[in-house]
Amino acid sequence: MFRSRSWFGGGWGRPKNPHSLERLKYLHNILCKNTTVSESNRGILVESLRCIAEILIWGDQNDSSVFDFFLEKNMLSYFLRIMRQKCGGSSYVCVQLLQTLNILFENIRNETSLYYLLSNNHVNSIIVHKFDVSDEEVMAYYISFLKTLSLKLNNHTIHFFYNEHTKDFPLYTEAIKFFNHPETMVRIAVRTLTLNVYRVQDASMLRFIRDRTAAPYFSNLVWFIGKHILELNACVRNDADHQSQQKLDDLVAEHLDHLHYINDILCLNIPDLNDVLTEHLLHKLLIPLYIYSLTSESNKRPVTSSPYNRDHLQSIEVITRNLEAILTGKTTDTPSRINYPLQRIESDDETKPSVSCVVSLFLLSQVFLIITHGPIVHALAWIILQADLSVFEDGVSKILDMYVSNAKSSVKLEFSKPQLSLEKALENTSCPDRDYTTPEYSGAKAFGYDTDQSSCDLDPELVSTSLPSTSHISESSSIAHDSTEDLVTQIQQVKADSSMTLSKANMPDSPLPDSGIESSSSKVSERNNITDEEKQKLLGKKPGTNTERAAIVEKVLEKETKNIETRPFLKTIFDSLDCSENDYKALFALCLLYALINNKGVNPELLDTLLYSELDDGAKPNTLSSKVNASEDETGSTTSQERSSNDGNDKSESFNALLISKLMAIAVLSCKPASKVRLVTCELSVRLLRTCMQGSKGAVSSRHISSVDNLRTRSAALARNFYKCDDIFLDMFEDEYCEMSKRPINVEWLCMDAAILLPPTRTPMSGIAFEKRLPSGEMERARRAIRTFFLIRELYLKLTGKPETQLPLANPAPFVQVADILDLNDSDLISCDIIQKDGTWQHRFLAVDNIQVILVEPDKQRLGWGVAKLVGSLQDLEIQGDKDDPRCLHLTIHKPRVGASAALPRTMLLRAKFKFDDHIRSMAAKQRLTKGRTKSRQKKMQQIGRLLEVSGVAAPAPAARHRPLFARPALSSVRKHSGIDGDDMERRIRRPSGHVLKDGIVVYRERTTSRESSISRTSSAHTSREGSPRARSEDIPLEDIRRNPGIAAAVPSTSSIGRVQQTIPSTSQHPNLKSTSSEETSFISKEPRPKRKGIVETI
Amino acid sequence: MAYAYLFKYIIIGDTGVGKSCLLLQFTDKRFQPVHDLTIGVEFGARMITIDGKQIKLQIWDTAGQEAFRSITRSYYRGAAGALLVYDITRRETFNHLTTWLEDARQHSNSNMVIMLIGNKSDLESRREVKKEEGEAFAREHGLVFMETSAKTAANVEEAFINTAKEIYEKIQEGVFDINNEANGIKIGPQHSTAGAGGAGGAGAGGAPPGGCC
Ligand SMILES: Nc1nc2c(ncn2[C@@H]2O[C@H](COP(=O)(O)OP(=O)(O)OP(=O)(O)O)[C@@H](O)[C@H]2O)c(=O)[nH]1
Ligand SMILES: [Mg+2]
Repeated sequence: MFRSRSWFGGGWGRPKNPHSLERLKYLHNILCKNTTVSESNRGILVESLRCIAEILIWGDQNDSSVFDFFLEKNMLSYFLRIMRQKCGGSSYVCVQLLQTLNILFENIRNETSLYYLLSNNHVNSIIVHKFDVSDEEVMAYYISFLKTLSLKLNNHTIHFFYNEHTKDFPLYTEAIKFFNHPETMVRIAVRTLTLNVYRVQDASMLRFIRDRTAAPYFSNLVWFIGKHILELNACVRNDADHQSQQKLDDLVAEHLDHLHYINDILCLNIPDLNDVLTEHLLHKLLIPLYIYSLTSESNKRPVTSSPYNRDHLQSIEVITRNLEAILTGKTTDTPSRINYPLQRIESDDETKPSVSCVVSLFLLSQVFLIITHGPIVHALAWIILQADLSVFEDGVSKILDMYVSNAKSSVKLEFSKPQLSLEKALENTSCPDRDYTTPEYSGAKAFGYDTDQSSCDLDPELVSTSLPSTSHISESSSIAHDSTEDLVTQIQQVKADSSMTLSKANMPDSPLPDSGIESSSSKVSERNNITDEEKQKLLGKKPGTNTERAAIVEKVLEKETKNIETRPFLKTIFDSLDCSENDYKALFALCLLYALINNKGVNPELLDTLLYSELDDGAKPNTLSSKVNASEDETGSTTSQERSSNDGNDKSESFNALLISKLMAIAVLSCKPASKVRLVTCELSVRLLRTCMQGSKGAVSSRHISSVDNLRTRSAALARNFYKCDDIFLDMFEDEYCEMSKRPINVEWLCMDAAILLPPTRTPMSGIAFEKRLPSGEMERARRAIRTFFLIRELYLKLTGKPETQLPLANPAPFVQVADILDLNDSDLISCDIIQKDGTWQHRFLAVDNIQVILVEPDKQRLGWGVAKLVGSLQDLEIQGDKDDPRCLHLTIHKPRVGASAALPRTMLLRAKFKFDDHIRSMAAKQRLTKGRTKSRQKKMQQIGRLLEVSGVAAPAPAARHRPLFARPALSSVRKHSGIDGDDMERRIRRPSGHVLKDGIVVYRERTTSRESSISRTSSAHTSREGSPRARSEDIPLEDIRRNPGIAAAVPSTSSIGRVQQTIPSTSQHPNLKSTSSEETSFISKEPRPKRKGIVETI
Repeated sequence: MAYAYLFKYIIIGDTGVGKSCLLLQFTDKRFQPVHDLTIGVEFGARMITIDGKQIKLQIWDTAGQEAFRSITRSYYRGAAGALLVYDITRRETFNHLTTWLEDARQHSNSNMVIMLIGNKSDLESRREVKKEEGEAFAREHGLVFMETSAKTAANVEEAFINTAKEIYEKIQEGVFDINNEANGIKIGPQHSTAGAGGAGGAGAGGAPPGGCC
């Protein structure tokens, strides 16, 4: 059984049982005899190591003496000795060693055994052993070994790995050196390990992590994220032709991985760690690279005139710099805090790396979609929404003071390479006089982005990947710690104090953003062209006429347009919403706004900037109606007395009206035939419109409703252009509806798609989904128009709180369902054989209703009645003749669209060959089905016509109703008992007992109790027959065939073939073909079936 | 050591379905039916031959990391093949397949080959999931299906090797972008580095190293 048995040959006195103490002793002996590894004994050593793992696991579960022996002989030290030898270090032996260790640590269940294994520090020595990590296989086994160990970490085992006294934690410090390893799986293992470490939540260990490793690790992490982003940016910039989509996909996915990783760390809620991470992220990446990039483009553009852009030449650049200064603070020793930013402005100019606005919006969207850690997202949101020119120009010192006094900001706001490589920094973890939370970053060389240099290349200075490990986790260095222990404690003390204040400052409702808001907005409002008083007046007046109302909106808009000039970042976003050329940027701006509004970590009050409507604020008193006239033309200078009533509302400047107008502009553009707005952009802007119109109060003003109603009219007009009685339109219409209901936009998924980073394209050959590109060709333009109509209609209904009653397109109820019992007396029935692909066949009768095609089987219990075996939708029926056999038709039958399923894609029920008794019946069937199909489709087209307000289809067609049901005893139809569940049963019973199909088919639902059915049987038979006037509302008789003598003549009359024996069609029996409706196509099958009075028409 | 291609696999599925055991059974054949031993590992590698080419399979078990979203999503992306495992004696592990599959489809690259595995086929008496159900699920979702036993080694080789074959075919068809290592496929070193590692065997993870003693 044991495969390797033969390896040990016979004679060495090897114990038979591979799982026994004796066997282990034997293996121990082998190790002892082969202390020096050589070419010749390598094989046997490897096999011995394999066996040892197996025996130990067996022993762990069965025989404790095995483990005792292993420990007693200190066999782990043999392992060490082997791998430290030059030859032993060959990958061959090392890999086996590592695998044995993996098996050991993964499979040991006995906790005591595990503790013993870990107790003598051999494992740590193995961890720090300098394996040849350039060997792919060794690397993989090594990192798996580390990861396996990390999965064993808990509050007890942590002490075997982390030495509190020597401040040694080799498992962690060795692993993070590979955080940027080129192998994905290695990087993932490192991340897993770090997360496993953090979640142990051992205070001392976490302190070590924070003080000794967090700064270097996080600064390197952040640096590499930034480098990735620059690479991504280059990729986007150089790829107008969608050539490197694959690479872009990877880069985007990589960025997402990073964000998710950071989010996973943050979600562990370790305050110390989160503070350091937050600081690095904000100051080293998010602000200097992401936010900064939001400004760089508008910088190049000529700035629109604005009173605040007096010196706009320097504006944006300076703003960012100043912001930087505000947020940076500086090291405590710097003498003058306020001068600091100015120096910074002078220093590094052209070197600042940045990405395009598109990329920056995209990345920021991802940040807001993934990260919810308050201090990060709130600070970012604050900067984006509130950061304000006046703050930069005048308010600096105040804010700065406050920020500096709170923050320990040791990190300069700049995207720059960490001065120390992670490797170096970690090397120094053993020197307690160095403090890594405050590295001397100030002199850091700014990262100059060099296009030629592929930034994905690993920076050998920074990563250790291929370098042998240089950390010295040895006894000698740990002794050095002890002498300076006191100093360490002191430093940590200081740090603990400062971090406490920092964490306070980082709370979502920190004083920083709030005070920023206050100081800035008061300043702005004083400069405003429209003063508060006037705004008050405008708002207060009762809108007598639409024009007055419009004038107010106009004014508010005007004001917001002016004010936005003071919000550089928000302005960039708003400007990006302009779709007049294309919607490339707009889509990302929308994503960002959406993500920002929906992020749980952002303080809701901050969102008032977007959601608070000054116009529709119900709290405003309308006392000023008398002043209406006065305010008309002196908007710029009015001063008034009613100040007091307004002060309370001046907390923050809102841009709600401006945003809504921008979003409306996108929606309006979407309704233009040649618009450059993609569906996804339209959908997202519609979604945001809803949020913004509902505002922070949730009430939608009539002004918005009427403008959306207007929009709806436009979208209907757009779709109307494509409304043709073209067969495909109906299918498209229903299909689009079902697509839309099936897949409402998911912004998170949208932002995973790298394809949208490339300029919008039209061609489907790009592989980009329809929603995310422009329509190509007439068909797609129609689809787009239909979808736009749906989106806007939905918005309208949602805003007005009306339920959707017309979509999905309804079919008139009730329906025949499978297993229903139908009274088919005097109905048009066509006998046929259904031949499936696999050769099986069934005999059925074909009946046609208004909207359904029904295949019935005669009811054995009652003559003239039939059981519905299959019910399909006429609308979706596909009919094809058979080339070889004129008696045959090929039918594809789909499930009827009923109720909720109407929004689902259609499902095929049957595709088969239908063989009729003769070619005439076949032809008749074809005619009947085709007509039925056409009619049922026409009805739906009328519904669409009404929806789209197509002229001439306005009136709802009353004809759609069935003829009134004639009175039938409610119980008359009850038949077989079938296992219908309770609910269903009740529903069915409550329904009208039957309804009349076309051609007099009467439907009766199955009833559920046999008692009932017995009653019914007696009473029903004649009532139904006698009482039934022929209901023929929409019948599709065969007149057409008759009327067309051409066809009739062309069809040879080969009537009595095959099974059709009893009925021979005869024309003579038709006295009044047109006036009576008694024609039937009740061809009778072989089955003995009494011939009914039915007149079979001949053609 | 030299290989034409290296394929990275991941193994996913509920806890206890036998992922680690399958992995070890394939890479090492250690799971002995006679002794009731439970041995598994979370990483292994082994060389196989397809079409006369040496192909190295690297298998990464993802167990224990489900708590972290970042980890699962990146694992999926880095793999060329995935074994989605359920336990035929525990229906709930079968019921969870949809969730696993959704996750895999969402995060993996679209070419990743997914093989559905119903494990513990040796425990026929305790079977809760019919083979037909597994087959139907696989058919519905376009997966390859197999029932295996990590205990008796039944079908274990086939499961891993068939997956590799499918990946290999996709490479031949040019569907996989093999120059992109993020897809979980690596091209071997052009010249077989003869000296590297000395022994030239497949290492511990590989087939049993030839000859000793
Ligand atoms: N009878 C039988 N038992 C098996 C088989 N495969 C695994 N087992 C047993 O199932 C249990 C779980 O196996 P593992 O390989 O640890 O399961 P896993 O999927 O790796 O579980 P996690 O690592 O927790 O996700 C062990 O007790 C194994 O002995 C098999 O094919 N047959
Ligand atoms: Mg496992």
